[in-house]
Amino acid sequence: MSKEVIVRIFDIVGGPLCVSAEDGQIIYEKIAPLIRQGHKIVVSFDRVETIISAFLNAAIGQLYGEFTEEQIRASISVRDMTNIDLSLLKRVVDNAKVYFKNKTSFDQAWKEELGDEE
Amino acid sequence: MIYYLPTIRSRHNGFESIANLASESKKLLFNKLEIDFSRCWFFDANMAAPLAAVIAGVADNLNSIEIVNIPPAIERILRKNRFLTNYGYTALEDTNRTTIPIQRLQLSDGGRFEDYIQHNLKGKGIPDMSEGLGRIFKQSIFEVFQNVVIHSGSRLGVFVCGQFYPNLQRLDLTLADGGVGIRTNVRNYLKRNVSSVEAIRWALVQGHTTKTGSQPGGVGLTFLKEFITSNEGKIQIVSRQGFYEFQSGKEDVFKIESDYMGTVVNLEINTADTKTYRLMPEVSPEDIF
Repeated sequence: MSKEVIVRIFDIVGGPLCVSAEDGQIIYEKIAPLIRQGHKIVVSFDRVETIISAFLNAAIGQLYGEFTEEQIRASISVRDMTNIDLSLLKRVVDNAKVYFKNKTSFDQAWKEELGDEE
Repeated sequence: MIYYLPTIRSRHNGFESIANLASESKKLLFNKLEIDFSRCWFFDANMAAPLAAVIAGVADNLNSIEIVNIPPAIERILRKNRFLTNYGYTALEDTNRTTIPIQRLQLSDGGRFEDYIQHNLKGKGIPDMSEGLGRIFKQSIFEVFQNVVIHSGSRLGVFVCGQFYPNLQRLDLTLADGGVGIRTNVRNYLKRNVSSVEAIRWALVQGHTTKTGSQPGGVGLTFLKEFITSNEGKIQIVSRQGFYEFQSGKEDVFKIESDYMGTVVNLEINTADTKTYRLMPEVSPEDIF
């Protein structure tokens, strides 16, 4: 393992609100290369006030599509999170594991619903 | 055309009446819609959001809109929350600071929505709430907004409006869009023509998401429901011809006769709640991954 890197969410997002998948994607694009390079990553939520699941799905949940649970467990830790946010993150992580386990390729052939009927 | 708007409460029949306006005005083109309030005896202020979304759809078909015969008490409410300022009325100052004014935002206006929430929730029961509750409520609102951004495809944007009832210690916040509705997304995902009601039920199950890409989903709505349960609040979802309400552990789901062209989510929270935040189970950072 090489050097420990701290990813400060507040600084990257530019404020205390982590409320979009778009911002989550930016975080993902910071973290994923660090895991590939073998770094230890500490994700700090210091000064963050509000976090939603769509942000965490993009930032953290998405990692389970590329890395194994063991890789992620060995690489990432989180800090400075309130209990409520930890609880949401735990749920996002558990959900992501199931999501990628069950993910089937989406059939693009069925593109439209058949009409306005109920 | 003239549409006589009846009394609009934040209840099943209130949503039904607004959906009825959407259905009846669907084919109106290069014409005029007159909304006549003479049969409206009460209007829950937060319902201005779905009404504005429907009117935006009518205006998008190049129709003019006129609002007439508003009883004075309703006029005061709808001038305070700025709904009527688009129709030739002046705004009225909200001296009691109980309204959360109507705002139309595009789906790309995430930053403006953040400013709106940060600015307008101040003084609306929030000081009485525990700090934790205020945080979870904000979190819930942003969850709903992000769902609209990701799933609605609403070309007309999203309409948000709210009302604080200090005596009841309730705060309502409503988001309404003119998008495809939950039904279309679920149909495209499941590849079968489920009804609006079935689609709403499906979307509320933990882990269910219509997302198919690299970002997982299916956590937000169940989180919302658990928060509302613990807070003893209320959640209402209207999407196309489906109505869903969850309150006091009881779910009401049924078909509405008219097609509301989009989705509305109303969150009503109990601002006197002091227990929700404390009841959260302890989670250790070591047990996350």
